[in-house]
Amino acid sequence: MSQALWISKTGLSAQDTRLATISNNLANASTVGFKRDSVVFEDLLYQIRRQPGAQSSQNTQLPSGLQIGTGVRVIGTQKEFSAGSVDVTEKPLDISIDGRGFFEILLPDGTAAYTRNGQFQINAEDEIVNSRGLVLQPAITVPAEAQGVTISSDGIVEATIAGQAATQNLGTLQVTNFVNPTGLQAVGSNLFVETAASGSPQAGTPGTQGLGSIEQGALENSNVDVVEELVNMITTQRTYEMNSKVISTADQMLQFVSQNL
Amino acid sequence: MDRGIYIAMASGQNIMSAQSVHANNLANANTTGFQTDFEQATTHSVSYGDGYKSRSYAITEGAGTNFSRGSMIDTGRDLDMAVEGDGWIAVQAPDGTEAFTRAGSLKISPEGQLLTGNNLPVLGNGGPIAIPPADKVTLGADGTITIQPQGQKVDVLSTVDRIKLVKPDYAQLTKGLDGLVRLRDGEESVPDASLRLQSGFLESSNVSPVDELTQIMSLARQFEINVKMMKTMEQNSSTAAQILRTS
Repeated sequence: MSQALWISKTGLSAQDTRLATISNNLANASTVGFKRDSVVFEDLLYQIRRQPGAQSSQNTQLPSGLQIGTGVRVIGTQKEFSAGSVDVTEKPLDISIDGRGFFEILLPDGTAAYTRNGQFQINAEDEIVNSRGLVLQPAITVPAEAQGVTISSDGIVEATIAGQAATQNLGTLQVTNFVNPTGLQAVGSNLFVETAASGSPQAGTPGTQGLGSIEQGALENSNVDVVEELVNMITTQRTYEMNSKVISTADQMLQFVSQNL
Repeated sequence: MDRGIYIAMASGQNIMSAQSVHANNLANANTTGFQTDFEQATTHSVSYGDGYKSRSYAITEGAGTNFSRGSMIDTGRDLDMAVEGDGWIAVQAPDGTEAFTRAGSLKISPEGQLLTGNNLPVLGNGGPIAIPPADKVTLGADGTITIQPQGQKVDVLSTVDRIKLVKPDYAQLTKGLDGLVRLRDGEESVPDASLRLQSGFLESSNVSPVDELTQIMSLARQFEINVKMMKTMEQNSSTAAQILRTS
């Protein structure tokens, strides 16, 4: 059968994967703390049909051979950890990290996950939790009688209590960083988990050792560039169309053979 | 039966191979740094002895690779780079030899090695480049890698290595079976200090979709003509048989 059919099929499935990534990026264009993915393509191996320099007779050689590529594949996706724009919300438990780093979240199974989504709330046990009710690490308890919570840029959480002149220190937020954040595994719900590629988590005081500082009352938008995604969508669609055109051409060729011979 | 039918058959097979070359180009139309492959047909005459020399087979050959530049795509990513002019990025192929690529979407491995998107180590002044833990990695215009070491202040910068950018003679370049470009003699190339790179950009493939689709359509028609030839020869043969029928 025509090899062109299978080559174009790889083209179609690669563009399909890219479109899936683009649509996921666009779907999350206004998800707080979302980091966009980009797809990396690679051409597949080449096959030698005719070896260049092979003997065409005892005294002559083929000047050039024929090697045919076998298509394209998606080699991987890269998370892009550039910063998103900042929205000021003025809510006391909306926190963003200005710079590198992640908040550590305790998963129900006891392991740690990391996020840049700083939409926190207080649960029934007075702990600071994220929107899914998972506890922020290190755990900080806000007393029920607290009137307001203040978080400094270096992560110190303080509460003003009715009838007390002095503020009450509740604890310190930490920011965790990785040597290679691109290696983190996205597990959904805006969470990432550590992998061998990301390196081990290094927690520290916000604003020190290259870690980002804390911004209270602000949220980090997704870093999806909508215009760029739409342009990518156009090129993906056109490449898809052209590959399907090749498939229909190869199909017509085969059809012509079977009808005419 | 006229043996000329084999010429049409061989030609049909070769056109299918040529189609595959163009199909591969189009499949890689969106692959960063991909270089278009050419294909051509040459005549191979098989005429023995006296008589009318009418037996010439067509053979499809790879006619090299188009090394012209793709267009620059702005990505804004720190580790994306495109070489200006006729330059290439030197990488280490899996077999340890030096190869060249224009796919400049770089990344850093867990071990701190600078890799291309398809996991090949990027070569520096003395072999693969290792990057210490850093808060920010910047690629300079001449390939110099500057890092802000982890935990250091913004003004504490250090230079790590320099990406090997090369400018080999096009006539010496050939594309291997792994899609990487190498020197024909397998030697290493000398770095060219005059080359510049653009950080935050990627180079698109240099595939011209219009060209490729036109070629594919023209090949498809050519294929149909060859099939028509087979059909005609079959008709010739059956007509001859009919006329010569004795009963």
